[in-house]
Amino acid sequence: MTPPAPLIIINDQRYLQHDTGGSDHPESPERLDAIRASLDASDCLGDVCFMLPQAADRKWLTTTHSENWLFRFEESVLTGQTYIDHSDNQVCYDSYDIACLAAGAGLTAIDVLEEGKGNSVFCLVRPPGHHAEHNFPFGFCFFNNCVVAARYWQQKYGKKRILIFDFDAHHGNGIQSAFEEESGSYYVSIHEHPSFSYPGTGYGDEHGTGEGRGTIVNLPLLPGADDQQVQNLLQDVILPQLEEWQPDAIIVAAGFDAHKADDMSGLHYSTEVYYTLGKEIKGWADRFTNGQLLSILEGGYELTVLGDSVESYVRGLLGK
Amino acid sequence: MYIFRHMTPDPITVSPDMLLPEARALLNDYHFRHLPVVDAQGTLVGMLTDRDLRSAYPSSVISDSERRLVYERVEQTSVSEIMTTECVSVEADSTLDDALFLFDRDQLGALPVLEDGRLVGIFSNRDLNAAYKTLFGVGEKGAVLIGIMDDGSTSIMTRVVTLLEREGIPFTRVLRIHDKREGDTIYLRINTFKIAAVLGLLDEGGFTIKKG
Repeated sequence: MTPPAPLIIINDQRYLQHDTGGSDHPESPERLDAIRASLDASDCLGDVCFMLPQAADRKWLTTTHSENWLFRFEESVLTGQTYIDHSDNQVCYDSYDIACLAAGAGLTAIDVLEEGKGNSVFCLVRPPGHHAEHNFPFGFCFFNNCVVAARYWQQKYGKKRILIFDFDAHHGNGIQSAFEEESGSYYVSIHEHPSFSYPGTGYGDEHGTGEGRGTIVNLPLLPGADDQQVQNLLQDVILPQLEEWQPDAIIVAAGFDAHKADDMSGLHYSTEVYYTLGKEIKGWADRFTNGQLLSILEGGYELTVLGDSVESYVRGLLGK
Repeated sequence: MYIFRHMTPDPITVSPDMLLPEARALLNDYHFRHLPVVDAQGTLVGMLTDRDLRSAYPSSVISDSERRLVYERVEQTSVSEIMTTECVSVEADSTLDDALFLFDRDQLGALPVLEDGRLVGIFSNRDLNAAYKTLFGVGEKGAVLIGIMDDGSTSIMTRVVTLLEREGIPFTRVLRIHDKREGDTIYLRINTFKIAAVLGLLDEGGFTIKKG
């Protein structure tokens, strides 16, 4: 039997069909083209195996979202609406199906991991997910891909201490909403400070409530923060926290919009910081989850640096 | 902006002749820090705070025999003997700003709210924070605050609002702040993720974005 590739990437040409209405919308199909072009030109390509996703069943989507939202989303696109609730959330006729396919990538990945066919899977999907809430879309996101994956991992494979680590420049309000009142799931997010950045949530003193008290760690950075501050948080704050929590599954909400060239945030990361992130996260997986790791693409909008940033993260995951 | 919209109405109260252990149990059970003291007619006669009670109870560093003696006295002491009688209060139709000035001036944690001399509510520092948080949209999902330089030019407010409305950019707050040190600023709370596009439009419109 052929040994599994060090990294499996789940991607599908159908993700390009989610049409956000033209070139002025940052969450464009060209994002995935730019990523694929950088990966195709990378010497990491030999260590990567590509797979297609299965669409998520309604059963799994409703672990995270209301039936009402699923009906409303489907009906909105079929009746030809161009956006839902807010002009940020642009849709086309195919958007519901493509969002199901984006949410399904995480589930396909988890089956791969649990069946021992691979140890590290990266889902290159769109639309992104971490802003999507239980009952409504938000900030370009329709289904919360990371949370749907977490519920699948918990319910189908019995994971007890699941971690979502989010390094997108924006706080994942939808992930926090899903996790903040429960034990057994943890959310750590490094993002631009909510006083300066969308979506205006993710203050450092939000730690979860009730049974979820202590399960949320928000690490807001001021505009202009750079690689060194990320490095410090990884070593001084996040790693000690993970040692305490001992997660048994790790999902990464991998967003690349904190790059200094990306004007969707005021953060000032270099391309190289994504290598550091990849390497560090791979280290957590080796230490806490027998190497099992699931990464899911979130934001990243500046096409001139997005591909190289993702390639850098992949290189870090591979330790190359 | 009126206090009655943000206060806790009909708060738990105590009578002046209630003994301290009972009052302390109330504060502990409900996690309060302030108890209005009212007479039989519902007129405010004082305020009892957790600090008043802490002062009345024996210190943890005194000997056991001394402590027993103090406890015996405390158990026979009524609220009226330790409550604050010179209370600062607000009226139900006072404004949030009135309360802000009082909290700031007197370093208080909560204010009794009166109507015709009768107690109708309590308004805490926390209530004030929540009210201003709502007023300014702090922590509102989907919002981002953008600052632009206020150069004092004629109709700058009209121009910025017109631009936002014309371009269909949702916004919920426009604040004009005069600030000698940092420079006069207009803050816009914008409700969109497409921040770069908004910054571009403001730049094209001749506005200077403030960094940080």
